[in-house]
Amino acid sequence: MKFGNLLIAGITTGSIYAMFAVCVSVWYRVSNILNLAVGDFAMVGALGVDNLYRVKGLPLPVAIITTLVVVAVFAYLYDQVVLRIAQDGRRPIEGIVITFFFTFALSFFIDGVAKVLFGTDVHAAPTLWGGPALTLGSLNFERAGLLVLACAVIIGGAFWLYIRFTLGGKALEASGENSLGARIVGIDTRQYRRLIFIGTAVIAALFGIVESPITGFTYLSGATISLTGFLAAAYGGFRKPGRALVAGLFIGVLEAMLGGYVSAEYGDTVLYAILAAAILAWPRALGFESAVSG
Amino acid sequence: MNQFLTASARALAWSSAVASSRAARQVPRGGVPSVIVLVAGAIIVLNYGLLYTGSVFVLSACYAIVTAGMAVQIGFSQQIAFSQSVFFGVGAYGVAILNSHLHMSVLLSGVVMVVAAGLIALLLGSVVTRASGLALAVATLMLPLIAVGYVSGTDFLGGPVGSPLNGTLWPGGGSTTLVALGGGLIVVVLLAAVVFIASRILSSDIGLELFVLGVDERTAAALGVRTPRRKLELFVLGCVCAALGGVVYAGTQQFVPETVIDPTTELALLIMLFIGGRRSPIGAVIGALVIQYLQGASNWVSVNILIVEGVLLTVVLLVDPEGLSGIVQTGIAWLRGKSEPASAPADLAAAELAGAELAGAELAGAELAGAELAGAELAGADPPAAAVAPAASAGRESPDEIAGPDARDATLLEVRGVFKEYGGLSVLHDVTLALPGRGLFGLCGPNGAGKSTLLNVIGGSVAPSSGEVIFAGTDITRRPPHERFYQGISRTFQAVHLIKGRTVLDNVAVACLASHTASIVTRIGRSRLDAARAKATRTLADLGMAHLADREVSSLTLETQRMVELARALASSPRLLLLDEPASGLSEEQRQRLATLLVTLADRTCVLLVEHDLALVAQVSERIFVLSGGHLVFDGGPADFRSSPVVNSLLVGS
Repeated sequence: MKFGNLLIAGITTGSIYAMFAVCVSVWYRVSNILNLAVGDFAMVGALGVDNLYRVKGLPLPVAIITTLVVVAVFAYLYDQVVLRIAQDGRRPIEGIVITFFFTFALSFFIDGVAKVLFGTDVHAAPTLWGGPALTLGSLNFERAGLLVLACAVIIGGAFWLYIRFTLGGKALEASGENSLGARIVGIDTRQYRRLIFIGTAVIAALFGIVESPITGFTYLSGATISLTGFLAAAYGGFRKPGRALVAGLFIGVLEAMLGGYVSAEYGDTVLYAILAAAILAWPRALGFESAVSG
Repeated sequence: MNQFLTASARALAWSSAVASSRAARQVPRGGVPSVIVLVAGAIIVLNYGLLYTGSVFVLSACYAIVTAGMAVQIGFSQQIAFSQSVFFGVGAYGVAILNSHLHMSVLLSGVVMVVAAGLIALLLGSVVTRASGLALAVATLMLPLIAVGYVSGTDFLGGPVGSPLNGTLWPGGGSTTLVALGGGLIVVVLLAAVVFIASRILSSDIGLELFVLGVDERTAAALGVRTPRRKLELFVLGCVCAALGGVVYAGTQQFVPETVIDPTTELALLIMLFIGGRRSPIGAVIGALVIQYLQGASNWVSVNILIVEGVLLTVVLLVDPEGLSGIVQTGIAWLRGKSEPASAPADLAAAELAGAELAGAELAGAELAGAELAGAELAGADPPAAAVAPAASAGRESPDEIAGPDARDATLLEVRGVFKEYGGLSVLHDVTLALPGRGLFGLCGPNGAGKSTLLNVIGGSVAPSSGEVIFAGTDITRRPPHERFYQGISRTFQAVHLIKGRTVLDNVAVACLASHTASIVTRIGRSRLDAARAKATRTLADLGMAHLADREVSSLTLETQRMVELARALASSPRLLLLDEPASGLSEEQRQRLATLLVTLADRTCVLLVEHDLALVAQVSERIFVLSGGHLVFDGGPADFRSSPVVNSLLVGS
């Protein structure tokens, strides 16, 4: 049952990628900014809960809620101070490259603060659903993995339903497609940008809390998480949370299979080579052209 | 006639004044920045070379060599490729291996590795630079990830431990002092050379091409920029600079740790570039210095370096997206403004208004000129005619010389049985038409009829699914847009595609570059930008727009922007001019001015005009084509066009 267990492992990692990819692509859809600080919010969530619960001795629910509130407030302030000056002023800063670097800078800042607050060691939030792995025949299901997958499906699905079927979702889409046009027809694009930024930051933090028992986090883990989320979002065409979810799962499974069947050592290297080749072969099909022109 | 003469005389006077003022503030092409780097660098190395400060400076100079290349590739030309850390590693590890295993001297192995890196980049680049924009960024993002996997997995490069060197960059050996100072000086000289080369390229005609490439690849191709080649050259240039940085890093640090190839190195380099000023090589050097000094400060700053870098980057980008170099430039401009007599901003605003009014006057002059032209030609060769007709005066042989007096009748463009499908959707269905060497031809049709697609097929930015495009007797169906441009096909776009952030003169000069056969390297020696600008100045003067030459294009009104775009299309003396809705957004009066100008042009070239304004089309065209749902449904003269039931039901809508 090597294949089955590899598949389970792949889906677990894949749902981690998928979750962050959804956060990246939803906010890109509304703001045309690629958020590379998503992983850092996840890191803050995990290490924040660990710090409050283990070091400060707060009860777990209080620790989780406090951490999420702090993340939300920080995201709100960042939007109010930096993004407002950058985008709502007389000379809005445009272009995917420059805005990209604002989130780079945010990522650096969060990491630096986390280093001061949480130190440099590997920590993780306590497991929310403890106990031995569930088995089904010869297949092993880690409880944390199941929790991650459930979160990915629920939150990804909720975003998909929201964008697809609600008026708010349509307004959100309009904000990203044509910000000026959306504002003319009465959509407060800034409010959507703020709402989704805070929302994805909190979701990322929550996801960090759920996911951290599997991998463990240091103050520098954010960049790696953001990178995987960014990649999965890229292969989902950047604007499509549904496709990002699928792409994340696919990359996770492919990674597990390459690690299991090709080479444990160079599996990732082969994975990246395959991913690069895919972009060069089918840029249009993967949605890169539309992402650029839009 | 008198009015016209006054207008053209004024235009000429203006253009010569512009030319002389331009010549007066001719910027030294890369001389000053590289001399500053050389002198300041040498002073720092000689004074502090043996101290900690000096070692930090030399390290930052190693990174600055990389970031100066990135300023050309990533900042200026907007080709985002994450290949720097990998090629930095290629240079550094290559020197370490050649030096410690094969006992080659550091200097020689450095030369070998830079050449090798150039060849590797050429191979790799010919694959990855097929991608554009984000696809290029994501594809090359895999390079550092792959490289890290390889280096940490193999013992050959020392794995996580790293790779030591036996030799030093300074070839002579000798005392530690001599080795440290000599090595530092070599780095400074190389850095100054890279800054010099980068500045020379950016200030040349190819620099203008690269700027356009960075703004919009498709527009660049339509203006004759050989985009695939430029993209490959940029990739190789960036990689060679990165490898050179790696070589001197290994030579001066005498040790290559695994971290050089880590993706965080790539991030650090990007942050240096964006803090310093993404478009300016000297800015990139400043960025590298600032970041390395902060990191090496060994106080609270370096302890909390992530917070400091995050805040610094945010603040700098908020103040000016062009980074520290942008802030410094603004500051210099502000100081100069202060030293001049007061209320400079008010004067500027007033001048702009006056300029706008003048623009109206000049366009009226151009109209007059058009009217005069007809008379002038009747009367035989008259000097003003030569001054007005762009095709005759803007250099290059006029169509008459090429095709002889029968040019009006000979077929210039033939579109044969062209089909275009997107997925299952048929956009063009069996379109066949032929145009002679001169005259004005209208192309109409409802929205989505395939008009712009047909222009794109002729211009080369869209390949037809089947069918042929024949231009001047040769099959150009598979030729890229830039080749068609140089064969004499020129176009404007439905939405104005001017290059923001550049002057009117430069926007027109893009079409006069004729640099398609040149490579980036040849422009280090000699720039053809001034020649192109002179030609553009003439074209602008011919159209009565000389006074607009120094204006930044986004400050102009829509009509003037469309006129600039037209001027750009005319500057290359095209044989076929494709105009995509040039009148949209213009007032009735402005349309009439445009119509007069178009009629004048049609006397010398073949103009294909896509337009929704049926009255305008019927007024100026000698023959009109109507597309509907991808089918050519009408082909005839203006009289038939007005009375045709097909046209009426399609376009007028009963």
